[in-house]
Amino acid sequence: MLARIAQELFWLGRNLARAEHTARLLEGVFQADLQGRPEGQISATTLSWESLMHIMGGRRDREVSDGRDAVLDALTHDPDNPASVVACVMRAREGASAVRDVISAEMWEAINTTHLRLRGGEFVPRDKTGHYDIYQHVRERSALFWGLTARTMLRDEASAFLLAGGRIEAGDMVLRMLRVALPDVPDGNQADGQALALLQAVGGFQAYRRAVPAPAHAKPVARFLLFERNYPDSVAASVDAVNASLRTADSRPRASEPILRLSRLSADLEFRRSAETDADMRVTCHEVQRELGLVDGDIAQRYFGGARAA
Amino acid sequence: MAEVDTKRPLLDYRPADGYFDELVAADGSPRPHAQALAAALDAIGPSQLVDAGRRRDTIFVQQGITFDTTGEDGPTVERPFPLDLVPRILPASEWTHIKRGLAQRIRALNRFVDDVYHAREIVRAGVVPWRLVVSRSHFARAAHGIRPPGGVYCHVAGCDLVRDVDGSWKVLEDNVRTPSGISYVLENRVAMTRLLPGLFSAYRVRPVDHYPQLLLAALRSVAPAAEGEATVVVWTPGHLNSAYFEHAFLARQMGVELVEASDLVVRDDVVYMRTTNGLQRVHAIYRRLDDDFIDPLEFRPDSVLGVPGLMRAYRAGTVALANAIGTGVADDKAIYHYVPEMIRFYLNEEPMLDNVTTYLMSDPEAMEAALKRMDELVFKPTGESGGKGVFIGPENDAPTLAGLADVIRHSPDKWIAQEVVRLSTMPTADSTGALSPRHVDLRPFAVFGETISIVPGGLSRVAMIEGSMIVNSSRGGGSKDTWVLEDGEDRSDDAAPARPESLPPALPDLRYGAWTGQQQQQQQQQCSPG
Repeated sequence: MLARIAQELFWLGRNLARAEHTARLLEGVFQADLQGRPEGQISATTLSWESLMHIMGGRRDREVSDGRDAVLDALTHDPDNPASVVACVMRAREGASAVRDVISAEMWEAINTTHLRLRGGEFVPRDKTGHYDIYQHVRERSALFWGLTARTMLRDEASAFLLAGGRIEAGDMVLRMLRVALPDVPDGNQADGQALALLQAVGGFQAYRRAVPAPAHAKPVARFLLFERNYPDSVAASVDAVNASLRTADSRPRASEPILRLSRLSADLEFRRSAETDADMRVTCHEVQRELGLVDGDIAQRYFGGARAA
Repeated sequence: MAEVDTKRPLLDYRPADGYFDELVAADGSPRPHAQALAAALDAIGPSQLVDAGRRRDTIFVQQGITFDTTGEDGPTVERPFPLDLVPRILPASEWTHIKRGLAQRIRALNRFVDDVYHAREIVRAGVVPWRLVVSRSHFARAAHGIRPPGGVYCHVAGCDLVRDVDGSWKVLEDNVRTPSGISYVLENRVAMTRLLPGLFSAYRVRPVDHYPQLLLAALRSVAPAAEGEATVVVWTPGHLNSAYFEHAFLARQMGVELVEASDLVVRDDVVYMRTTNGLQRVHAIYRRLDDDFIDPLEFRPDSVLGVPGLMRAYRAGTVALANAIGTGVADDKAIYHYVPEMIRFYLNEEPMLDNVTTYLMSDPEAMEAALKRMDELVFKPTGESGGKGVFIGPENDAPTLAGLADVIRHSPDKWIAQEVVRLSTMPTADSTGALSPRHVDLRPFAVFGETISIVPGGLSRVAMIEGSMIVNSSRGGGSKDTWVLEDGEDRSDDAAPARPESLPPALPDLRYGAWTGQQQQQQQQQCSPG
């Protein structure tokens, strides 16, 4: 298929996944921030408004103060901030319009409606600080889009690049969250309300409860979000999914740098999981994220004809 | 916040005369801890309250947070759970008092249950008559001599508290069988943060969402299994039970199986559940049905909800039940009368929370005195809960009360009389968004594992009809989100609470991919024929 189309699809997936994860993250932090801490518990993880701006990276076109309303505004419906939910959806929709002939009509409609309703002024925050409706909208519409993809799109190279984009972004976002939220104190086994917020932010609360017997403390939560392959939004599951997608798209997978790199990363995650050492989770996250960045570069190099990500 | 409009504070709210209003003082001005709330409510205004109410109903119906009410003769209607949007605020100091008082009470009740099934010291000391204890409908002979792990019987307790005219807290009822309502506490809080986040902005409210963790830890701590290996289940009578929502909620939040009787089986005094992998051992059961139904071999033989042989397993100590068998004796309303004495007897302490003045009808003198002034008292059957069979003297006519007097004379053991408590009021929104006073009570929830933990706040139930003191949701009562404030109520006081002072790591920039640059887009547009 055309390299240009492949890249558009890849970034369509990335932008949509980024919009969804940003929405979930903002909602989680918002909920946690409204309330105090449980009695007698200290916070081993930090999810705050300042840290949110860090999660979304250094690229800011203008300085935003660290207050709640400013951060919420900047990351939710500021169309001029490229990291905002609205901007992500807008880019996804632009990308989708460039590949309308490749994706199904229903997929296009799903994403176009999402964008139009966001821009239609329907989601004016009512109580000045309430953005719940927007986040719910983005969550639901994003689930609809991926559901329609699974249901109506031919499982060819095109869908492989779309999925690879969505999953690599999911992995990257979860790593960003973990790196900012994880405690730098070694004792991450403290009881902790913020780790709960982290789980709720990614929508993994019930999955965690069913999979892990331990209470939602910082360390087991971080391990779950990093290593638990059975949880679809964990970093390990995302790495595997990107790997599987690229394998279906690549004619010579055994000579493909991104696939080789992903396979190595996947095995590495498994080793780290079973090692049970007290290795600093933050170091692990850092290394995994660096590796994912290299994968991203490899993908652009190999499949998109060297068109580097801007 | 000092700029509260004194002419029209709190949307024209007027407290009712002769009652303690928790939000405003007698002169109509908000109490100190409620000033910011009053200002926020004023800023929101009635129309936004109504709007938020509509969204609340939609969210609750969509999420299935509903309960069934049966019309007079019509079909069952599914209604959204009634949550009033004006929260109830408890300052930290007040909560500390309640919390300590409750913990004290629950410790005493737990000791009492242990005592009546073992040494009966309190009976021998002449504090509580044995005849009264054994005549209680929830006294369980089968529990005699069984001591569960850690000596904990009342793993889950919910006491109903009310506030009298002078603002003092009193215990109205103890629930140490299967108190329900905690799921609404958690769901109410989530709904409030979504619907009216602005109300929270001036407060630091203690979260409640760790309750399932507390419960799970308590159940694990009493389970007869090695650390970390205990299998815990929630046992529901079935999906037709009125509290099924809560059973499913707790099972989901704790990540444990929700079982029915047919899922459980006892083999050689050990409880198992049937799984796709064969039988799996169960160590602790959080049961949501009464003693009477749990084992047809020991209790009611006609129970189809029970598990035959469960009591054998319980006696053998291979399974923990929460709450333990026989705790019902402690929440009997005639026993309630003795709780302050129990606290003195077992703990050697003075009760921190008072009872409502209660007369035992089994005492002939007290009965005659009470029957003479029936129109001033409340009469309650001892073995019931949830407001069933309660007669409020001032609200009933003479023939009804005369009939009641005959019933009481016939079986005085089964009745108590209480002075009418003038329940405190809270501003409550009606369908037009206007605020008017409604009576409230409070049911905090305690979990007793290795220690007693009480979730900050609890379920505030509110009577939705003016003047009514019936708060039960089965009889048209609503609820309120209950906020317990952290010490140092004002948010501005605690700048950045105890967060590690380290800079977050420098993360790589977000990547943005685009094949077509801006320039190319513009040229594409120019190229296209107009």
